[in-house]
Amino acid sequence: MRLRSVQRGLRIGAIAFAILTYLILIGLPTRLGSVATPVLALLTALIFWVALRGGKSKRALADQSPAPLALTGATAGLASGLLTAALIAGFARLLAAGVNVQPYLDKIVPLNMAALYGVMPGAVMAGELPGGGWLWQVGLLTLAGVVGALLVLLERSLRQRTWSTGGALRWLTIVLPFVLLAFVIWLGSPGVTLGGNNRGTLRLLAAMAAIGSALFALRAAQRGREQRILALLLLIGLAYLPFTLDQFQNSVMGIVFIFVMMGLGLNIVVGFAGLLDLGYVAFFAIGAYVYAFLSAPFASPAFSALLTSLGVPADAPLVSFWVAIPITMLAAGLGGVLLGIPVLRLRGDYLAIVTLGFGEIIRLFMLNMSDLTNGPRGLLNVAPPYLFGYNLGNPRDIFILALLGAGVIAFAAYRLDGSRLGRAWIAMREDEDVAQATGVNLVQTKLLAFAIGALFAGLAGQLYAARQTNIFPDNFTLFVSVDTLSLVIVGGMGSIPGVVLGALALKGLPEVLRGIDEYRIVTFAALLVIMMIVRPEGILPSTRRRRELHEEGGPASEPAITLEPALPTDYRTLDGGKL
Amino acid sequence: MEATDFHDGLPPQNRHKRIVTSTIRSSTSYRVRRQATTTRWLVRGLGLVGLALLLWRVVTVGLAENYPLSFWISQALNGLVLGGVYALVALGYTLVYGILLMINFAHGEVMMIGAFTGVFALQFFTALGWMSGPTTLVVLALLLIAAAGMLGSIATGVTLERVAYRPLRGAPRLVPLISAIGASLFLQYSVLLVFGVSPRTYTRPPLLEGGFRVGDVFVPYTGVIIFVTSLLLMLALYLIVQRTKLGKAMRAVAEDKGTAALMGIDVDRVIVFTFILSAALAGAAGVMLGFHNTVVKFNSGFVPGLKAFTAAVLGGIGNIPGAMVGALLLGLIEAIGPSALGIPTEYKDIIAFSVLVIVLIFRPSGLLGEVVSEKKA
Repeated sequence: MRLRSVQRGLRIGAIAFAILTYLILIGLPTRLGSVATPVLALLTALIFWVALRGGKSKRALADQSPAPLALTGATAGLASGLLTAALIAGFARLLAAGVNVQPYLDKIVPLNMAALYGVMPGAVMAGELPGGGWLWQVGLLTLAGVVGALLVLLERSLRQRTWSTGGALRWLTIVLPFVLLAFVIWLGSPGVTLGGNNRGTLRLLAAMAAIGSALFALRAAQRGREQRILALLLLIGLAYLPFTLDQFQNSVMGIVFIFVMMGLGLNIVVGFAGLLDLGYVAFFAIGAYVYAFLSAPFASPAFSALLTSLGVPADAPLVSFWVAIPITMLAAGLGGVLLGIPVLRLRGDYLAIVTLGFGEIIRLFMLNMSDLTNGPRGLLNVAPPYLFGYNLGNPRDIFILALLGAGVIAFAAYRLDGSRLGRAWIAMREDEDVAQATGVNLVQTKLLAFAIGALFAGLAGQLYAARQTNIFPDNFTLFVSVDTLSLVIVGGMGSIPGVVLGALALKGLPEVLRGIDEYRIVTFAALLVIMMIVRPEGILPSTRRRRELHEEGGPASEPAITLEPALPTDYRTLDGGKL
Repeated sequence: MEATDFHDGLPPQNRHKRIVTSTIRSSTSYRVRRQATTTRWLVRGLGLVGLALLLWRVVTVGLAENYPLSFWISQALNGLVLGGVYALVALGYTLVYGILLMINFAHGEVMMIGAFTGVFALQFFTALGWMSGPTTLVVLALLLIAAAGMLGSIATGVTLERVAYRPLRGAPRLVPLISAIGASLFLQYSVLLVFGVSPRTYTRPPLLEGGFRVGDVFVPYTGVIIFVTSLLLMLALYLIVQRTKLGKAMRAVAEDKGTAALMGIDVDRVIVFTFILSAALAGAAGVMLGFHNTVVKFNSGFVPGLKAFTAAVLGGIGNIPGAMVGALLLGLIEAIGPSALGIPTEYKDIIAFSVLVIVLIFRPSGLLGEVVSEKKA
């Protein structure tokens, strides 16, 4: 028994060592500075917690008994500590010997090692490392192992007790957004010094937390009158937000809500209809470019030449922002149908790759058709929206416009979800053949999903162009698609509040935490994988999807009755070349 | 073929799909069926028009430009070399797809990491002075570099399978795909963070520089070596899959995981072995692509990966000879396409993507494959 605990500890220690090596190699200690080792130890403690509790289920947790667990934790901590300390010492020796490691490993610099030892970089270069440095590292990581084990035990004893919170937790959830909103307003009032230099960041964070908690509050409220009153109050609070936030905060919120608009559109395609579209950025780009052509025709050489030859002056916007809305949406919707027709017969992963190809093709065209799109130099001086002569191009008004746009789209999506079309989408997502058999017109249903999703992306694109005033092909890379898809997935596929939460988490937080900008993509990529393993239904899932992914007795993809015949379907494989 | 009796004498391929759809079709309204055929004819008509336009363009450009024959031959040779490399990567997609029915989106990154390991091995041997030494030493070093690249890829592939794919086995199909996209981004940007932005250069040893002439056509040594090595590796793969016990187990698992497990096959082990095979091929491809393009960057696996996937689809995914044929064909199309169509070479990537889209629309089963794109998700 003891031997097995030690073996398990060594295995967990090795995993922790691999993760720590990765974090050191990507230069996290340099960022953390003098607190590097304690913070890494804290992170390791969390890793040990997850690894030691052994799986997601409650039973795995209950099987753990204190003594072996502590032994495993301590072994894991000691093992990872010794390995990591050896690695750090090795790197430090190399640097002290004057070897320039940077051409091979970019982030292994004296500053990085110095942060781990808690000394000045000069000391690393001179080879004057504190004698007990490695003991400190090993000690902290061993402690992390013990703490990890204690966390598991703590979790177990908490789980075993049944908590009777009554309605208190629910009421707390409902009141929280108002408390946060009040906090935001209070932080903005003159004379408050809380947070010092980071007051603006704190406010932005609080504002985002307020919106996020509002979504949970709405879910916690009882359906019916209670929910409606709460929604009304929250809307009033939300409407007040743009007027209390400052320029920078409003501009961050603006981009977050432009992505909410996009996410809601993609949610229709991916979440409702189950068509994985990786080229969604194409419609966003169409919206932005069409609006740019309409409002700044002079920016495009070919288009302005065409207009002048037709006798239309090309030196002023052709139409206003408001008139442009139906045009851009229509153009994007048309793009959606044109993309949809060829891919009608494709499903699942094939669809993903083809749409990804489409997205790239559109971007390559924008990059290379210099006559029309001005190539990489982009289209400049796109007009902001005007209303009765007022320029609405400032961050506050863009935020308000994005809020309005997101509201309209959310309402449309909500109504679509329950409509005949929405149910047809869900039927199609679950099983195309059966959906067709029950009378769903697949061609029409699929094209409508693509078109409606594209319409919303077009609107988002137009607002984006008006916000940026200058647009370049680089604004429309694959990463916009991936970001949008991630926010839909993290929030919960098919869930409208999920999209808002996802946008706040994936587009808002990085703006707040500017320090981790370099690590943004790896963080989200890792998050995407972890999310798929731990909680594939998202943070705020729609009730239906939650049920699907957490069916009792086995994975959701294996229904009790399969249509497949029991015998293998293709015998050529036994003699032919096919795998 | 003794099992035919069980299924009303239908041809064995796609039998289950036919059964399912035919049962459903019989209860479907006439309107739906007619609609489907109308769309199909519409698509076919559009395809013919497109083909005619394409031919017209090729002929007019060909008459206008009047390139010498040697130009076309050397372009075609370039295409074959590139096609050989794509084939190795495409085989990785096909192997994994055949067994797990999932697109290993991060396969291009597995190749890129192989290329990185290879470049470090190259730097090591250059520092030892082997690269400028006698021919045998250079050849030995090159083999070791290729082996290093393969090992780097294998380590990545196996870790990928263990961390990002195995926990998701049996989940709905979108779930592993999203996980694969996440893994692909994670690998790319981790390499960027760990090794820095500056590209690594593959300095060719003097032995590999230059080439020989056949008539007017110049054939570089690297091209010959890459093409021959790719063919040898493909042959090795074919033998492994067809002649070894593990290969037989792979084919059994591809056929039916459940039954294979009942026959005493360790499915997990076979899947890991598949990832090892596909990663090894990708690693070799990465090193060769490195010598061919002379630079590797954190994102240099992405586009070749997509193209290799295109090649796999072109040949019929899940089909080993198909991946080889598709890749060589794609290499040729990409090399000859821009000059034949009279468009700038920057549009080369557009041609590859268009080929993918066109194949999926008109023949989703690929050239040699069975219909899988419409299989139940």
